[in-house]
Amino acid sequence: MYDLNFFLQQLSNGLTRGSIYALIALGYTMVYGVMKLINFAHGELFTLGAFFGYTLLVSLGLAGSLGPPMAIGISMIMVLGLVALAGHLLERVAYRPLRHSDRLAAVVSALGASIFLQNAIMLKWGAQYRAYGADLLPNVVFRIGDFNLPLVRLLVFAAAIVVMAFLHAFIHRTRLGLAIRASAIDQGAAKLMGIDVRKVIALVFVIGPALGGLAGLLVGLYYGQINYNMGQIYGLKAFTAAIIGGIGNITGAMVGGLLLGLLEALGEGYVSVAWKDALTFVVLIMILVFRPTGLLPERVAEKL
Amino acid sequence: MRKFLCLCLCLTACLFLLSPIGPAQAADQIKFGLMGPITGDWASEGQGMQRVVELLAEEINAAGGINGAQVVIEVADDGGAPRTAAMAARKLLTSSVVAVVGTYGSSVTEATQDIYDEGGVIQIATGSTKISLTGKGLTKFFRTCPRDDEQGRVLANNVKGLGFTKVALVHDNTSYSKGLADETREILKNIGVSEVYYDSIVPNDRDYTVSLTKIKAANPDVIVFTGYYPEAGLLLRQKRELGFDVPIIGGDATNNSSIVEIAGKEAADGYLFVSPPALPDMKSESAAKLMATYRQKYDSLPSSVWAVLAGDAFLVLVEAAKAVGPDPAKMSDWLKTGLKGFEGLSGSIAFDENGDRVGEVYRLYKISPEGEFVLQ
Repeated sequence: MYDLNFFLQQLSNGLTRGSIYALIALGYTMVYGVMKLINFAHGELFTLGAFFGYTLLVSLGLAGSLGPPMAIGISMIMVLGLVALAGHLLERVAYRPLRHSDRLAAVVSALGASIFLQNAIMLKWGAQYRAYGADLLPNVVFRIGDFNLPLVRLLVFAAAIVVMAFLHAFIHRTRLGLAIRASAIDQGAAKLMGIDVRKVIALVFVIGPALGGLAGLLVGLYYGQINYNMGQIYGLKAFTAAIIGGIGNITGAMVGGLLLGLLEALGEGYVSVAWKDALTFVVLIMILVFRPTGLLPERVAEKL
Repeated sequence: MRKFLCLCLCLTACLFLLSPIGPAQAADQIKFGLMGPITGDWASEGQGMQRVVELLAEEINAAGGINGAQVVIEVADDGGAPRTAAMAARKLLTSSVVAVVGTYGSSVTEATQDIYDEGGVIQIATGSTKISLTGKGLTKFFRTCPRDDEQGRVLANNVKGLGFTKVALVHDNTSYSKGLADETREILKNIGVSEVYYDSIVPNDRDYTVSLTKIKAANPDVIVFTGYYPEAGLLLRQKRELGFDVPIIGGDATNNSSIVEIAGKEAADGYLFVSPPALPDMKSESAAKLMATYRQKYDSLPSSVWAVLAGDAFLVLVEAAKAVGPDPAKMSDWLKTGLKGFEGLSGSIAFDENGDRVGEVYRLYKISPEGEFVLQ
């Protein structure tokens, strides 16, 4: 029963799930790296992405008028832009005024923003489940023996990997990326070197939410079903992934996300579904016991 | 002078203390509570319940109310969550309702039963099928929906009747879903259908491909899923995506048209479930009338049968209040002894001494390629 094929299938199940966790985890980790703040509203920005996508593709009927591939491309770009804007506003309203106050004040503000956004989404789009429509993506399945690999899954995985590769290159190859890395290491020193730290923070709050929003759209496309409080569970899982990988470390968030997805899939597959979360979090605790700062800890010189 | 002032003060204080005691309702009004999941995961059920009950109340008020008294509906949102429900129940009690219609989920109803009982108010659950809700000695608790043991029996018999021999049982660990799964499991064992898989899924997880892969490896010829429609829709969709071609048969909590929306017509095609009959399949006159007014006002039909059973709960309460007046104790006695052969929306309604509905109501449905629910 539990043969190689079963293992491969679960591997692909886990990687799909994990790539979504990884995309969301990036937002947590980037903000933490620069501001040392957990952006609790990040899960809601992810939900916002899913609902913007719903409005574009379903309510406005973009998918019907432009054809699915074109519509999905356009809505991806628009969701990236819109959620980035939402993230920027969030930073302006909820975090920037508190930059010089107590750390705790910012955390409370983050929680407040999360509750506000979740309720706003519920009031705007309603409390019921919304469906993206099953005919948006073709149901093409590649079969290798008994092993099934749906095209949609490859697309989700590829989208996540491409975006993460771009981000990695951006952080390590460009001057703006250098500024982000410098601000993460020491904001004071970065200021002295002529880096506008305020702009860097604003930038981080544009990139992180945009990635989270994209993940929301991907969840909508892949699973087909979204609801207003989906950000809670995904947010928690992605936050866990960021911690596993070593919060503040971008590569760590990617590794952590994929690892968490795999852990869940294998735990569910080989032990029991009911015990999945318990098992996953036992592993998390073990990782933290032996490596308190996560798998790829945020060592100052290599931060971000 | 001071004595006089003191006296005045005391008298006003007495007036304040005395006045709110006893039902604060006007003589020409009877208040009923409706507790349902207006928001939350099951919001479409709750909103359906509210629409149906409010439409029926309008109709009754237009026809002169209950012996001249107007019917007032107080709505409280239980959010589909036990904790919220306890607060909703207290809210309804403070607005002095005589009886409460609701609610949908068994675990949610369970959290409020004692609160209503202590408050001396009748509660008629409309979708809570868990067996142990009745039979615990609560005299004012009723339900218009059948119990899980009946559902389990019908489910198991249909599995056997359709010729399936290897069953995979999946529940979602809620008190309703696990209860029904265990009930069905027991009966299947007794009638000689073998079980090859038994496990839960986590509601709201969205990704059930891991479970489905595991089920596929167990090689059943049918999956019995006892959870709710959001997960059923995802299971159907992901099953198709994994190229896993085995029928699913579900319980009454999947009787909701959103299932087709979530799964897509192609994946939903052939899905089987047992449920009390849907509104268009109900033969009563009142059902036809409700269908017409509902369609006129909301341009659709109630998305599930549970909303209609809330209507039934409301109708029997009105009937009881007409017969013995708006007194919870008298009404609940009358519902058990005096209510005979009353034609509700879903057919004839009567209650046994536990407050359970008498008579068999379950039918087998199948989703057609067009996404319609077809009575088998």
